[in-house]
Amino acid sequence: MGLLALGTALEWSEARKAANHVRDWGIEGKERDALLWGDEIEYLVVAFEHDRRRVRLSLCQAEILKALAKDEALSKSGGCVAELQKSSKLGQSLPTFHPEFGRFMLEATPGKPWSINPKDLLDVEPNMKWRRRIAKDHMAENEYPITLTTFPRLGTKDEYIKPYFPPSGPMLRSQFVPDEIANPHIRFPTLAANIRSRRGKKVEINVPVFKDEKTPSPFKDPTVDYNLHRWPEDDDVRNGAAKDGYVYMDAMAFGMGSCCLQITFQAKNIIEGRKLYDQLSPLGPIMLALTAATPIYKGFLVDTDVRWNQISRAVDDRTPEELGEKPLNDDRWRIPKSRYASNSTYISQDPRLRPEYMDPDLIVDERLKQKLLDGGMDDLLATHFAHLFIRDPLVIFAEDLNELDPEGGNHFENLQSTNWQHMRFKPPPPDADIGWRVEFRSMEIQITDFENAAFSIFIVLITRAILSYDLNFYIPIPRTTENMETAHIRDAVTQAKFWFRKDPLPHHRSSHASRLNGNHTAAPLPTPGPVEDEYRLMTISEIFNGSPANPASPSTNNANPLDAPSSAAAAAAAAAAGGGGFPGLIPLLDSYLNSLDLSIQTRCQLARYLDFIRKRADGTLWTAAKWIREFVRKHPEYEHDSRVGEGVVYDLLKKVVEVEEASAAAEGGVVGWEMLGGMATAEAEAHSVIDAAGA
Amino acid sequence: MKLILSTSNIMTSGSSVIRRPTVTKSNVELINSLRANIVEAQAAASITGADSSTSSIFEISDGTPPQKSGYPSWTRKEGDTLYIPAHEPTPLAEPRSSYKITVKLFYLPGIPPSRRCEHTKQAISLVLKELGAESIDLLIVSYPGVSFDADDDGDSEASSAEDDSAVSDDGAHGMETMVRTWRVLEAFHDNGIIDKLGVSEFSSDRLAKFLPQTKIRPSKDQINVKDCCVVPKTLIMYAKQEGIELLTHNDCTDILPSGTIRELLGPRKEGAGVLAATADADDGGLKGDIAPQWVIKYTAVVEDRGVIENKGYFAMAQVGSCTGEES
Repeated sequence: MGLLALGTALEWSEARKAANHVRDWGIEGKERDALLWGDEIEYLVVAFEHDRRRVRLSLCQAEILKALAKDEALSKSGGCVAELQKSSKLGQSLPTFHPEFGRFMLEATPGKPWSINPKDLLDVEPNMKWRRRIAKDHMAENEYPITLTTFPRLGTKDEYIKPYFPPSGPMLRSQFVPDEIANPHIRFPTLAANIRSRRGKKVEINVPVFKDEKTPSPFKDPTVDYNLHRWPEDDDVRNGAAKDGYVYMDAMAFGMGSCCLQITFQAKNIIEGRKLYDQLSPLGPIMLALTAATPIYKGFLVDTDVRWNQISRAVDDRTPEELGEKPLNDDRWRIPKSRYASNSTYISQDPRLRPEYMDPDLIVDERLKQKLLDGGMDDLLATHFAHLFIRDPLVIFAEDLNELDPEGGNHFENLQSTNWQHMRFKPPPPDADIGWRVEFRSMEIQITDFENAAFSIFIVLITRAILSYDLNFYIPIPRTTENMETAHIRDAVTQAKFWFRKDPLPHHRSSHASRLNGNHTAAPLPTPGPVEDEYRLMTISEIFNGSPANPASPSTNNANPLDAPSSAAAAAAAAAAGGGGFPGLIPLLDSYLNSLDLSIQTRCQLARYLDFIRKRADGTLWTAAKWIREFVRKHPEYEHDSRVGEGVVYDLLKKVVEVEEASAAAEGGVVGWEMLGGMATAEAEAHSVIDAAGA
Repeated sequence: MKLILSTSNIMTSGSSVIRRPTVTKSNVELINSLRANIVEAQAAASITGADSSTSSIFEISDGTPPQKSGYPSWTRKEGDTLYIPAHEPTPLAEPRSSYKITVKLFYLPGIPPSRRCEHTKQAISLVLKELGAESIDLLIVSYPGVSFDADDDGDSEASSAEDDSAVSDDGAHGMETMVRTWRVLEAFHDNGIIDKLGVSEFSSDRLAKFLPQTKIRPSKDQINVKDCCVVPKTLIMYAKQEGIELLTHNDCTDILPSGTIRELLGPRKEGAGVLAATADADDGGLKGDIAPQWVIKYTAVVEDRGVIENKGYFAMAQVGSCTGEES
């Protein structure tokens, strides 16, 4: 979540004064030869109370981090717990643990970044498992680090946190969660309080309830208290904040308390970084749908499968004027999206980027953009940053203002890290030996580390295929925004269709071919047809596994050889390639991998990940969202009224731990079969033959 | 006459993506890329060339059959060699040390092993010129007819044509031939052109016979396994013991049969119009038998970034009345 410099956070009203200063900063370019990348795993810490058949969130983050820090110091001097001693055996750096927004959360990253070396790729899954064991070793016996996106009973009326604190504190003013739910680091409560005070009311998160057989209709969230009179914000619900048919939530913790799987890449240089930022962007909603894992909020089954919009609303700091609810007076513009949303810019200086792809509703700070242009920045990048900087910085530390350094990256990082779009483009930090980075942020955390490794590696490989094949996934940004909504649909993997580019393959050798006729000027790019002909609705299975040629194929759609002779070669190449249908992301990766000299061990392991994703995409294997929903609906205590009680959640989380442990131990294979198909286990066994022989 | 077929860089043409790849062996990538490269060269010639008024390689919607540019407009002849299509090298963009360059050299069935020395020289020099490099990091050799069948659990082998056909084709034992060819490759290693050597489709038995006769040992053995997680234990153990890394691939050994090349270059609808319909047809194409001699696949990967910058194939075929089997 960005830097956590200790400091005295400013109140919102003071922060506003400083906002203009903070927006002035400088950036510079760096070249890096190697790909480095990292994954972030976020955990919820839960405590089981078997005698009472309940499980609660444990607000133990600080204690765990303290214990970890102590052991890490010990490990440097030679003695520590067994799991940490493995670092020397594995030849790997100790993982790093970080605090997160929720005091029940923990984040773990590898001790040093991964490379693209096959050995590193094979280390990812064991390393993730190792991180989890280390975390577990620093918790109480009955506590577990689990990788569910959200705690199903966060914000219920019972004592769902340990230790228990009553809700309705001065910072969050939530009627469901206490201030103590947030990390006590000054940054977090300040962030929450500043969002609330900027809005002039609490955040409003309404998720449609899942209408089961006995769900009351109309559904009125029975946990909402309309008679609370402690804070002015308690009026929110009396002013209609809670909507019929929806589960209502009122605090940042309901969104920022979610766990995600985020991947960051270091690009070779700014050019490559900008290209990856653009090309990965259309994949954001697709990967969100494929990793869906969030069917329960505040003890109710909901009618959506993913966390995204809830986080978006949980940090939506737009004022009534910015939201368009009041005429613009104090504020500078109306803003169509929350600061946590799908991204709204393309930034690559790529001839394939057509102006039609850009977001027509983009809001930019024209004054700032002009300053950036005057400073020598190109239009696309200036637009991108001038768009991010329409947001006010939410947390500014008083100390920073005293020594305001326009060259320093701290201020920039400050704004950047509270702009949560599904892609993030990160300039090199001023003081570190780090290049341009791109972060892919939409995926939901998965229950097992097998799945988390599979999706992490899939994204890494896709970036390599994008660069190797010069793939083109451009679609207009509003279609990606639309896809992000589509990804919320219950079981979107099998039920929904997403906008996707029909033909991602390049066809630009014409320039090369033309050279042999003495014509050294590059052949003209094919005259592009209407943008609408470049993409269509596809199922997730088509996107991942490919689709046969059909009448919508580009060769029959676009390129009439008589009208557009220059695109003829492209069409011919497509036709010769067996063309027309969408090739599929998995076949693309197979082709990429088959072009490398991979050892059998590496290729088999990677094939296992791709095969898992292939089956998840075609519906053979279930998403966690579907698996959880089905678990609840089949539970004997569930009354088919959408309510997910303490006992059900206790059994669910016990099962979640069981699934994770079985897959980690590469045994069993029956638990969580619908999700994993035994792939995290059975083939790992077969595979271990090779390991054993190779050991 | 010698025909040199080339694919150019198939990474940026989209033609190397096999839409439904399987683990079964295939030459789809090679054939698709050769065809795509020819089609593209023809298109470029018809747009910028002299006879653009009449030629279009595309079928027009009313069904009028396409006309093709004469092949001289998009090929290049140098002495006794015809380059199909005319070809310009695309040297690597970054310093040589950033790359791992791998080639796989396919000696084709029915071609006398005595020609392999010359063929190897030709193939490697084409690749070096294409990439603007002076050395290759790994060369994997594919001997004709050698195939590895994982179902046999590695204790026995599927029919190994090099052994069988060797008797008829070469009048010599297969293993002996393979070793003699290996000497050629070892020479390339000795003069610094090839760093490491590898074999393909070798079972543990074959490796055991082969290794003692080599000066430069193979460091890789590339095998195709249907379900790639099932590799015979004997092979895994043996390779481990001998320090040989097992790699995967899905190329077929008979990667360019003469029937395929005639289809590719012949006069029919799908063909390039270089060859005559049959050995003695009088249709403007080159006459005579066509005999593919070797195929080389090259890959240049920016190693620290996992980016494949250049990948392609060259193939050489003899055409004429005297392409025969004689040594």
